[in-house]
Amino acid sequence: MSCSPFDLRDYFFGELPEEGRHQVELHSRSCVQCREELNRLLSTQAALLAVADEEIPQRIGFVSDRVYEPSRLMRWWRGFWGSAPRLGFASAAMLSAAIIFSAAHRPAPAPVDVARVQTDFSRQMNEAVERAVAESDARYEERTARLLAATGRQFEAVMMEKYARRDYRAAILRNVSQ
Amino acid sequence: MIFRAVEDADLIQKARQGDVEAFNLLISRWEKRVFNYLLRILRNREDALDLSQDVFLKAYQNLRKLEDNTRFAAWLFRIAHNEAYSLFRKRKPESEPEAEERSQQAITTGGAAVFPIELSIAVSSALGRLTADQREAVVLKIYQGFKFEEMAEILSCPVSTVKSRLYTALDLLKTDLSPLKVRGAV
Repeated sequence: MSCSPFDLRDYFFGELPEEGRHQVELHSRSCVQCREELNRLLSTQAALLAVADEEIPQRIGFVSDRVYEPSRLMRWWRGFWGSAPRLGFASAAMLSAAIIFSAAHRPAPAPVDVARVQTDFSRQMNEAVERAVAESDARYEERTARLLAATGRQFEAVMMEKYARRDYRAAILRNVSQ
Repeated sequence: MIFRAVEDADLIQKARQGDVEAFNLLISRWEKRVFNYLLRILRNREDALDLSQDVFLKAYQNLRKLEDNTRFAAWLFRIAHNEAYSLFRKRKPESEPEAEERSQQAITTGGAAVFPIELSIAVSSALGRLTADQREAVVLKIYQGFKFEEMAEILSCPVSTVKSRLYTALDLLKTDLSPLKVRGAV
């Protein structure tokens, strides 16, 4: 059981942060037990590493065979899709091409026929004036007719009253003379 | 190691774009490490060589799935680990030595100083007495020098499990290898 402030094995494998390493080093200077434990770990590691890596008996290089090599077109295609800047540039280029194509193929506005526009305008203006005059005449005639009718009725009423008064006076005179 | 990682990242980028020579260079840098990792956990040269080839073939086929080029080592060893365990599963009875069989491989070198060849046998026996998981943890840490986080990525398990396997293995190895003193090596 270690009395170190941190796990000695973490320290041994270099997995402690700077502060932890420092504390373990300070502690192990004064602790025989922890120094011995570190020595045991070192011996074990050294024994394991004494058995060196072997050379690989046969080099691996299967992809250098032309059969496995992608064609020039495929290499370009893979390279194209593997590069973000190229993809971005291609997208921008396609967008620009679409805008130019759209602008080039949009139907142009028809040329303006000034004489025709003026004729149309005059015709429409005359029609509007005629319509307004006709409406105004109709309103005037209607009003005149209304006034004539009212005047006639008024005249008739006055005349009726006048005749009635004359008949009354004649009757009185007849009575007086009798 | 930083320069190496940068150069590897450059080679991976070129290999992704179809540069076969770049991938060949990448293989030449890593084949020895992958072969020795497989050799130490499989304990069979032919299997280790066959699987090394499979590992690099799979790496080449899946190179575009590697998200971070700087984590190539852990990614490559993850493929190697999967290949090895796939073989373990295929050959379950012979690939996992029984405890009884393991106990018969006890080290017999005693406390006397030994020559490198004897040490090699002793170490091989000591590693052979570990479970496959413990042995792999030792191989990844001591021989391949991976960090705990990388080991956890390779083995698909938490860091705590990695540490537990490694430290249990170390306790066993300390006991088994402590009597050894090799001339000029330990």
